[in-house]
Amino acid sequence: MGKGIEQFGEVLKTDVLIVGGGLAGNNAAIAACEVGAKVLIADKSSIERCGAIAGGVDHFMAYLNTDTWDTREAYLEWAGRIARGAVNLKIQNAVFCRELEAAIERMDRIGCSLRQPSGEFYRTTSFGLPGPYMINFNGKNLKPLLAKEARRLGAMTLEKCSITNLLTNGNGKVIGAVGFNIRKGNFYIILAKTTILATGNTNRIFQNPTGLPFNTWQCPANTGAAQTMAFEVGAHLANMEIVRITVVPRGFSAAGLNALTGMGGKIVNAKGEEFMFKYHPMGNKAPRYKLVEGVMREIEEGRGPVYIDCRHLSEGDMKHLKTTLGYDKDTLPDFIEQKGIDLRKDLLEIMASEGMQAGPSEICSSGIMIDEETKSTVEGLFGAGDCTDQMRCSHVCTTGGYLAGKMAAKYALTFTQEEPSVNQVKELKRKVYAPMRASGKVSQKSFEDTMRRMLWVYAGASRNEYSLNTALEKLDGLEKYFNEIKAGNYHELMRTHETRQILSVAKMMCHASLARKETRFGVFHRRTDYPETNPEFDGQIVVVNTDQGIKTFFNKLDYSTIPEP
Amino acid sequence: MPPVIDLDKCTGCGTCDAHCPLDVIHYNEKKNIPVVKYPDECWHCGSCRLDCPVGAITIKFGPEMLYV
Repeated sequence: MGKGIEQFGEVLKTDVLIVGGGLAGNNAAIAACEVGAKVLIADKSSIERCGAIAGGVDHFMAYLNTDTWDTREAYLEWAGRIARGAVNLKIQNAVFCRELEAAIERMDRIGCSLRQPSGEFYRTTSFGLPGPYMINFNGKNLKPLLAKEARRLGAMTLEKCSITNLLTNGNGKVIGAVGFNIRKGNFYIILAKTTILATGNTNRIFQNPTGLPFNTWQCPANTGAAQTMAFEVGAHLANMEIVRITVVPRGFSAAGLNALTGMGGKIVNAKGEEFMFKYHPMGNKAPRYKLVEGVMREIEEGRGPVYIDCRHLSEGDMKHLKTTLGYDKDTLPDFIEQKGIDLRKDLLEIMASEGMQAGPSEICSSGIMIDEETKSTVEGLFGAGDCTDQMRCSHVCTTGGYLAGKMAAKYALTFTQEEPSVNQVKELKRKVYAPMRASGKVSQKSFEDTMRRMLWVYAGASRNEYSLNTALEKLDGLEKYFNEIKAGNYHELMRTHETRQILSVAKMMCHASLARKETRFGVFHRRTDYPETNPEFDGQIVVVNTDQGIKTFFNKLDYSTIPEP
Repeated sequence: MPPVIDLDKCTGCGTCDAHCPLDVIHYNEKKNIPVVKYPDECWHCGSCRLDCPVGAITIKFGPEMLYV
């Protein structure tokens, strides 16, 4: 009888393990393979269509050195203004600026060019940009093309696999992960010299205005797995207090807003007033958090419903818009059509979306704190994409994902493969499958629904010290019922682990929010007891798991100079 | 409402099952047909329709989204 870890499941060995095969994960895989590392990507779905841009993307932000606003310095200056207190400019310079040129070339090479068929870039302005940084392109097949390239370079995959926990050695270094197949249930023990977490932001965390928890703006399979796993091994996380909200068509939490406002769509209230200029000098092209605030306030104060009006667009612009809308969200044109709406003649009703855990801007995110080499604060553990504190949106996930792959591979080639203790694996396996044996007195769906409804009331777009402490007390109370959730099959086991991750992220969010005693980014972190932005908080709230529970500390950031290239 | 699969057109290749990001579509090996097993968990991303090689999938939005 085997006495080693093999007795518990299938043991796989790799140089670099990438958890999450989305945009960042695939770019990381390509880079790590190019360095010569053995790469394994694990994902709950397939690397062809998982993650936030599963069905496509239509925009990629870049400076192209055509004008004074179109430079690295101008971009970073703008980043420091719009994301002050969350963005680390030195790290942005490393994860985005230094990698941008290569990323544009790579996209050409894999067959998903950022250019129009004419060879030109089609650039638009939205969300408070100082110039048209937003390149519109056809990214409907970006994911399958990246996946094809990763596979061509030799990346191996473990698909329909939910990774639940990281493995560590005696010194706390991450040496791999464990997970299970969501159809057959078999247990995997993956030994990796370095591990990159790239599982995106956290969705299904706040009540959805349509009452449909999977009707989310970002991918509802992204539930904070990376943030939870990193937290559990002691990694630092930052910007976790942010509740991101956006503006979406009423009824369908779909991407596409940047296409509508970028092309010149006007946001109007029931009286037809273009109200956004009341809230921000850039009007319909204001930063996202201002658009959300404007839409929410018009409705709250009785001037709703709120619409987007595209009737004035020229035939050429309308044609471009209709094509681009389907690039960002493949099914949005179907939704508009099935509502019986013709954008040339009718208004499209919009609403504020559900809240989510994600970054405050189009530049930096919220999650695992990374350094200029994408390393987390725990040895052996790297972060890529939206689950980190510095990579958001298609452009930074592409460039930063690639950097993470390069770095994780570089370190992997100097590390030796280590094996976890038998007890560690045994204990994790017991925890992973525990819901299969639970009583079933509480259902996973009702547990999650309760959590979402509660969090939106006490920790959503309006928070104060009392409400946040109440949310934490209620989370503790609710958590006592978690062990009653029964998974009837391995799909349900995956969902139950997702629920556990959402709960863990919610706690981090409440603690971080308590520590940021100010309001910043409008409704994205609105403390009603501290309604003003305080320059003393120009930095990040950092969350860390300790023996005494969750602790927070402040990481002051410097915006006085633009870092050297 | 989830994707609607036209079984007359479906060739049983299993791509929709393999590519669905939410594990909503399960290919039934016994009946040789794809089944929309978890319709409430559909994200309406359109991946199944995009990658179906014979165009057997349409996306149908329900009243809970069109008229909410």
